[in-house]
Amino acid sequence: MADGRSHARQKLAYLSWLVPGLGHVLAGAWTRGLGIALAMATMYGLAVFTAAQRARFPEQVYGISAQVLRQLTVLSAGTLLILWVLYRAWARRWEHDELARRAGRLGFLAVAIAVLTLAGPRMLLMTLPPEAERQLYGSVLVAMAGVLAGMWLWNGLDATRLARTGVRAGSWDGFIALVLVGTLILGTRIVGIDLPKAIREYREAGRILADIVWPWRAAFDYRETELRATAKVQAPCPPGESGPPPNEPKEGEPWVVVTPTCGELSVRDTKGKLTYGTLLHIRGGGFVPGKKVKIKWENPIGNEFTPRGVGPTEIEVGPDGTFTTELYIPDVVIPEFAQGPQIHKLHVVQPGALQFTGKLSREMKLALQAMLESIMIGFMATFAGMLLAFPLSFLAARNLMTSLRTTAQGLVGGVFGFAGGAWLGYRIAQALSQAVGGLERAPVTVALIHLVFVLGSAVLGFRWLSRQLDRWSERWPAWLVDGVRYAGFAAMGAAIGWVLGLGYAHGILAIAWDPEDVQRAAPGIARVGAALGALAFGVLAYRWGRHRPVPIGKLIYASTRLVLNVIRSIEPLIWGLVGVVWVGLGPFAGFIALTIHTVAALGKLYSEAIESIHPGPIEAVQSTGATRLQTIMFAVVPQVLPQFTAFSLYRWDINVRMSTIIGLVGGGGIGFLLIQWIRQVQYEHAGLAVWLIAITVSVLDFVSASIRKRLV
Amino acid sequence: MLRVENLTKVYENGTVALRNVSFTVEDGEFLVIIGLSGSGKSTLLRLINRLIEPTEGRIFWNDIDITALNETELRRVRREIGFVFQEFNLVERLPVLTNVMMGRLGYLNPWWSLFYYFPTSVQQQALAALEKVGLRDKAYNRASDLSGGQKQRVGIARALMQDPKLLLADEPVASLDPVLAHSIMGYLEQLNQERGITILCSLHYLDLVQRYATKVIGLREGRLVYEGTGEDIRHMTDEEFKQIYGEEARRLGA
Repeated sequence: MADGRSHARQKLAYLSWLVPGLGHVLAGAWTRGLGIALAMATMYGLAVFTAAQRARFPEQVYGISAQVLRQLTVLSAGTLLILWVLYRAWARRWEHDELARRAGRLGFLAVAIAVLTLAGPRMLLMTLPPEAERQLYGSVLVAMAGVLAGMWLWNGLDATRLARTGVRAGSWDGFIALVLVGTLILGTRIVGIDLPKAIREYREAGRILADIVWPWRAAFDYRETELRATAKVQAPCPPGESGPPPNEPKEGEPWVVVTPTCGELSVRDTKGKLTYGTLLHIRGGGFVPGKKVKIKWENPIGNEFTPRGVGPTEIEVGPDGTFTTELYIPDVVIPEFAQGPQIHKLHVVQPGALQFTGKLSREMKLALQAMLESIMIGFMATFAGMLLAFPLSFLAARNLMTSLRTTAQGLVGGVFGFAGGAWLGYRIAQALSQAVGGLERAPVTVALIHLVFVLGSAVLGFRWLSRQLDRWSERWPAWLVDGVRYAGFAAMGAAIGWVLGLGYAHGILAIAWDPEDVQRAAPGIARVGAALGALAFGVLAYRWGRHRPVPIGKLIYASTRLVLNVIRSIEPLIWGLVGVVWVGLGPFAGFIALTIHTVAALGKLYSEAIESIHPGPIEAVQSTGATRLQTIMFAVVPQVLPQFTAFSLYRWDINVRMSTIIGLVGGGGIGFLLIQWIRQVQYEHAGLAVWLIAITVSVLDFVSASIRKRLV
Repeated sequence: MLRVENLTKVYENGTVALRNVSFTVEDGEFLVIIGLSGSGKSTLLRLINRLIEPTEGRIFWNDIDITALNETELRRVRREIGFVFQEFNLVERLPVLTNVMMGRLGYLNPWWSLFYYFPTSVQQQALAALEKVGLRDKAYNRASDLSGGQKQRVGIARALMQDPKLLLADEPVASLDPVLAHSIMGYLEQLNQERGITILCSLHYLDLVQRYATKVIGLREGRLVYEGTGEDIRHMTDEEFKQIYGEEARRLGA
């Protein structure tokens, strides 16, 4: 009977041919059916979403692409089914030949893929009008239809197997392969992978890569020098004389000799026709061989120009550094008042030789400065993080905290002592702050006063009242102790419930409600929350009774861990944004970001080091009558110190690396420069920054690794 | 006088380590606890100075109920109860001298520990204690440099620093070879006889039990199954011993 029913039930699996996964679920293969249904639904949704992304307004095209995908899938599935039947026929024919069956299976796959690929575009055209095709990624639709059809087929065959044999388990290989293929197709489209473009335009990358890979020319200053030689020419020749004495060739420096040293200017008439003046023979030497020299003319009032139409003005220098050329004295406009012979100058100029000065460029200096800033951000953040993480890690160590228990009345006393002490300390700190001039005048003093008084007075209140309540409760009658415990717990619960109620109103209700309605309802909800909280804590107070200790250590442990985990799961770059808003652009913001993250990360690592220590010494120190502090100092700290050091070094290493990019969000350091230079398209300078980062990080990596190796 | 009344310990995982155990120990006695591994010997010793909390029952030490003390009072009682461990439980990275001085922590202001500071008088006392166990020259070595027997002597010196009235020793010689075992037990006997320190010691070896005990209790699966004087046990044959102790019992050096 039971057999018959389960048999009928297992036949339900055939329903999966209609709705993928449904039959599996009905036949009892829950996870299998749900897995299939979920995977196919996800694939279908993603395919529709991706195909519609080409359209300008995808919302309108989702419908079309969904419909097209459905029709395509049916077509593909039909094709695949026909091929599958053909394959089965083939397989039956060669039932006893293993090799032929295998070849048949591979052949089925190859033919199926080929048919779908070839018939795909045709199928696409059958399912939608050409103008709609331009709206969609047709190839994605076709390929995904093939994949979905394959999944559907696999699901049907699996259901058939289930219906026949009743075996619920089985290989997922084929299905996973199909999901993988589908994901690859969608991924290619969504990521926009375009290999042809990458190959076609490789030169673009080459241009900036060269700058980034070898930026060292930008690291230094250069002086651009030009070689220059000058000869004097008088025009016209003074009567009876032959002009200024000619130059002599000189060794070791550029020279030029012009003959004759005086003559007539060329003249350009009003029509622009040039009448040549005296022809000058020019010889020069002492220039850089193989490069060109330029000839310039300087008129008597000191204007330099390149003479035109009177001969060559750019001359190749010979291998021995000399050249010869000829030039007519150019036409020079002489002012009316300048009468008689005038001295002109002929310059021979060889420009463009860059001279290495050996000095660092401005950018290099900036980069070095910023690098130092980064290293210091990393170092300071590690140091501050260590200081803060050290005490926290003891609270987050399970082995130390689980044994920490308190009586219920001690807990009540502690909480109220803490709250009362904090309030009192706050009032005192307020008064003192006014006396020193307030937050504007003396911010650090005020902050310190608050820290010392609020925290100190809270801790004192905590210790005093928790001890007093413990002591009093020994002398008090039972009803009074019970009363204090219930009242205290109820008050704590009410406070927590109040806050949770407000949070619910302003956090969750406010998402959907009108702000005014929230405002009106919030106090009521908070009151309900307080009542519920008081009730819940009242139950706790009953459970923990008069003598049973409260596992306060476990509570502290769990909440410290929770806070550390939340802080740690937020990236330093995001803390950097917070820091920038808090204290403005610059290294201090980066320091704050890294410190926050370091505290959380080191707190976890430290506490795990503490959890892994040998418990024997703790027992030994405890049994001498030592206090908790003494136990930690003598039994825990010596055991964890090497690991703490190793973790801190490791963190320093990470922090310096992080500090190089914390500047991307404005946190100072070299990242700040890097992002600026990249935005200004100064890739050579960006390359300098990249190099400095790489050098620093690898040196630090090496150093910290070798120190750690020695420690552990 | 130590009086244990109806002591029961159930661990959080449900293991019942001790069931309703009661006995008394007079001052100056050398009580040996025998029993198989897992019979509750370590649990019993650790309950006495409340390294672990009892589930039920009471422990009276000179008519003070140890189980009812708050943390401060407990620390004051612990000062008078030394503890010697099978695995020595020294802090290996600290010098021998510091390990010994740690025995005095219960008498010092806790804030000094932040600086690892000990008064000179404590240092002198520690050196004297080391002298007593013959390790004066090892005072400035790291504890990890010592051999097993030396470590246990440091453990005893540490317990001595407490000026204990009661000394709990949890299989103090189980990790040591026979010769060392006798020398360690010798120290304990000396303390028992010269200073009148009451000693509770768990042991594995019959001849050690016969040689040193003035009183013996036997535990089996957490129950008290044997109670006798040193005389009783010295007349006991191996067969009787095995009955309470189990088949694993053997003689040291046999």
